[in-house]
Amino acid sequence: MAAGTLAGIALLVLGESHLSLPGYLMNPLYEDLTTQGATVHAIGACGATASDWLKTVEVPCGADRFKGDTVFKGRAATTSPIKELIAKDKPSLVVIILGDTMASYDNESFPRAWAWQGVTGLTKEIAATQTPCVWVGPAWGTPGGKYFKNDKRVELMAGFLEKNVAPCVFIDSLKFSKPGQWATVDGQHFNLAGYQAWSANITKALAALPMVQGLKK
Amino acid sequence: MSYTVVGLRGIRSLLAYGVKGMKHLGRFLRFVLVSVGLALSALSHAADIPLYPTGPSADSSFVRFINGTDAALELTAAGSQAKVQLDAKTPTTVYYPVRAKSAIKGQFSQAQSKSEISTTVKAGEFVSVIALADGAKLKHVSLGEEPDDFNALKVSLAFYNVSAKCANAALQVVGREVMLFEKLGVNALTRRMINPVKISVQLLCGEQTTGAPLELGELIAGERYSVFAIPAASTTRIFIVSDAVAR
Repeated sequence: MAAGTLAGIALLVLGESHLSLPGYLMNPLYEDLTTQGATVHAIGACGATASDWLKTVEVPCGADRFKGDTVFKGRAATTSPIKELIAKDKPSLVVIILGDTMASYDNESFPRAWAWQGVTGLTKEIAATQTPCVWVGPAWGTPGGKYFKNDKRVELMAGFLEKNVAPCVFIDSLKFSKPGQWATVDGQHFNLAGYQAWSANITKALAALPMVQGLKK
Repeated sequence: MSYTVVGLRGIRSLLAYGVKGMKHLGRFLRFVLVSVGLALSALSHAADIPLYPTGPSADSSFVRFINGTDAALELTAAGSQAKVQLDAKTPTTVYYPVRAKSAIKGQFSQAQSKSEISTTVKAGEFVSVIALADGAKLKHVSLGEEPDDFNALKVSLAFYNVSAKCANAALQVVGREVMLFEKLGVNALTRRMINPVKISVQLLCGEQTTGAPLELGELIAGERYSVFAIPAASTTRIFIVSDAVAR
């Protein structure tokens, strides 16, 4: 048996742009999780929302890292239907890292009905496969930037996810840092130090979940 | 000065090592250049990330159609031959996603009676178009809500009152002195969260018990439901539907 807090757990990790570029969350998270003994298949799709993981949708960039092989994709990147991914990988746990692509930072009103439809569509699809899941919410950014990320909306988005991702277990990334603590390159995407801190916190929070400990072989 | 000493020592070391030292320097410079290159590459990747939207330009909007009469009727969308039958067993459609502010046109028909539907839905709004008997004719009422109570751990239950015979409508939990809803006017709706428990409710109109109790069945956390109070022959009756959304 492999050592580590996540030994023997097969993870399917899905996310947005944070998981799609080499200097972003993809590499530190993959490495932290595998160091703790998990088998990881991590897929990122820039701009993908929850409902985009119910079908195949073209996205402007993405990445796929599995069994040591990493493919960073440009325009050829797509999402894949969650049911197909689960059927192929048979993960013991699905980890969704999504929030920024659904927060509508540049819009005065939060698209609550749209977000509810997308989030519940994805969680129901995962639940139908009887695969347990964890949803990691967005982290604080720095106000402004080209995505107009702001503290008030990211807090609203995290609160919305906390209430609506069940039966997935919610991990609140806002508890990992103070607003503005992790420097960003554009208000939303962190520098490497920020991603390393986010990754370490996600890994620790995952390992601390009783549900995850129950999955250890 | 220590700086000079170290510097001189470094140069002396390089001179002492000769070609070997130069190889070290070359490797060091290559390491620096590769590191700078990787950093620039990472920056270039970061700069290259295409801008993408963080949400839709407008919130989603939905419309559903309900048969609030005592007999089966047909629903037809304008410009379509497709018909949907709404009867006692299936009194409602699902919520269909529609474009906000666009005209929704269709028709309820029952025997020789028709009621032309024309409505619009605001962004984030869930509209229910309810067919009602108007003597021997058909009419309809549209009621919209903009919910902000989405919660996967609770049941969301709405109460729609479209019965002119039922002023100050209320729903009481059977067997308990608990009112789920109170003092609801005609052509109005209200909504609240409840725990996912099995209960029956009794309709009251103006504090008078009206009709038979209704068993709400197994209500599931995260799901949304509506109880409709509609006019019946000489009274008001209630039924429950799931607020399912077409996926």
